[in-house]
Amino acid sequence: MTTKLFASKLRQTCNRGLISHLRTLSVAATATAPTPSPLPLQEQQYEDAGEITMKGVKISGRPLYLDMQATSPVDPRVLDAMLPFYLSRYGNPHSRTHLYGWESDIAVEKARAQVAALINASPKEIVFTSGATESNNISVKGVMHFYKDKKRHVITTQTEHKCVLDSCRHLQQEGFNVTYLPVGSDGILDLDHLRSAIRPDTGLVSVMAVNNEIGVIQPVEEIGKICKEMNIPFHTDAAQALGKIPIDVEKMDVSLMSLSGHKIYGPKGVGALYIRRRPRIRVEPQMNGGGQERGIRSGTVPTPLVVGMGAACELAMKEMKYDEKRITALQERLLNGIRAKLDGVAVNGSMERRYAGNLNISFAYVEGESLLMGLKEVAVSSGSACTSASLEPSYVLRALGVDEDMAHTSIRFGIGRFTTETEIDRAIELTVQQVEKLREMSPLYEMVKEGIDLKSIQWAQH
Amino acid sequence: MTTAASAPSRAEVLSLFRSLLRVARQFSDYNIREYTKRRTIDSFRQNRDLADPSTISSAFSDGKSQLEVARRQAVVYSLYAPRVKSVMEIEHR
Repeated sequence: MTTKLFASKLRQTCNRGLISHLRTLSVAATATAPTPSPLPLQEQQYEDAGEITMKGVKISGRPLYLDMQATSPVDPRVLDAMLPFYLSRYGNPHSRTHLYGWESDIAVEKARAQVAALINASPKEIVFTSGATESNNISVKGVMHFYKDKKRHVITTQTEHKCVLDSCRHLQQEGFNVTYLPVGSDGILDLDHLRSAIRPDTGLVSVMAVNNEIGVIQPVEEIGKICKEMNIPFHTDAAQALGKIPIDVEKMDVSLMSLSGHKIYGPKGVGALYIRRRPRIRVEPQMNGGGQERGIRSGTVPTPLVVGMGAACELAMKEMKYDEKRITALQERLLNGIRAKLDGVAVNGSMERRYAGNLNISFAYVEGESLLMGLKEVAVSSGSACTSASLEPSYVLRALGVDEDMAHTSIRFGIGRFTTETEIDRAIELTVQQVEKLREMSPLYEMVKEGIDLKSIQWAQH
Repeated sequence: MTTAASAPSRAEVLSLFRSLLRVARQFSDYNIREYTKRRTIDSFRQNRDLADPSTISSAFSDGKSQLEVARRQAVVYSLYAPRVKSVMEIEHR
């Protein structure tokens, strides 16, 4: 049609325009045909025109990305804000004597204000760290070490992130007492359990706002109210919650909050810690050095990363409503699409109190690893990235009371700002195809179809 | 703040819209391309009924700065485009 011709002509002139624009940049000649960097031989990875082979798996293109809880792509607007600080404005923000230092310092303070604005805090209450893991470490270990004379007890939940649980284990080895509160089968903490666990020497309550594996939203405001009544510092890991659900440190009565850059379309390697000033909470620093970041986290503040995180937070504030509406619609589409074609599909975690972009589903009578191996064209995960090295089922699902066989077969779909409807449809198609294939091969499924109750079977011992 | 005393004309707004969509097509990454297209259409649709001239000019200048960002990033993304495309761009039987 004429419109197609016109469109292709337009595209040609654009490409020509783009290429001539590239030529005006001095590196144009090498840019049009990018030379591949030498690939390490052990990896056995090759990208030929038209297919990728890695770890023995051959796929025709880059998989569609549905793993937003592991990390998120950097938004081009964030990258645009970061690049000048890698190219010409490379000063150390702590250099006080020259322009390079001054301009970097201004940029860092601007980013600090952007992060603070997203959570309704003051910029003076934000400390930049290397990520949410470091912020969690500073919160848990730093607070308890500072108040170690009077406070010896920590309360947390069984579904926390590994870094919080590991820090608590470290504290236990040092002689502190830790209570790991159980959660209900929907993943939500029972507030009465919390109230009964509080002791006079409780120094910290740590509950994450949005769980990274199952996506449930904890009742942070109610927990904050309880902690404020009993005058106990409340720490929340808001790495998955930042920019996705509205966060207000005043409404939530939090004393400490961990934030992560790479979950909100920012760069990896940066995070922040919100530390309340009124009433003041003190922490013992985990990184000693020149006293940067008010002595709480010494070390040069990485200007480009911090600027990226600030830009990502500002974007998140602007785009939160739009993204939330879209992602909720995509989640419904995904769930309905899968449920329409398959039975034996269970969603792990509460459906009501859930962040829409995280959908953790278990497929009955299917083995999880083989399902993942079959879904080569979809990048999803089962369990969290941190625990995927071990073979045991995720401790979060175990804490929910999910049966072992269902826990092994759980898949976490992460939907984000850049996910399209077509990707969701393709993911549904591939998942359904793979699950049906595996179920057809499964003798357990045959028995279930005949009406045998699997739990009543006495497996013969040889 | 530089205030454009006169609100942009209809032709200017349409030209901005078309430029944004043109730049969107130049992105080598499937997800960013689709997002830029979709976000442009949705924002212009959302701002269609603005009446106050200062709001209109600030939305217009915001749009222009986004166009500059998109132009630069389209170049950067094409410089580092992976050799193999996303599965979504490959013919699906």
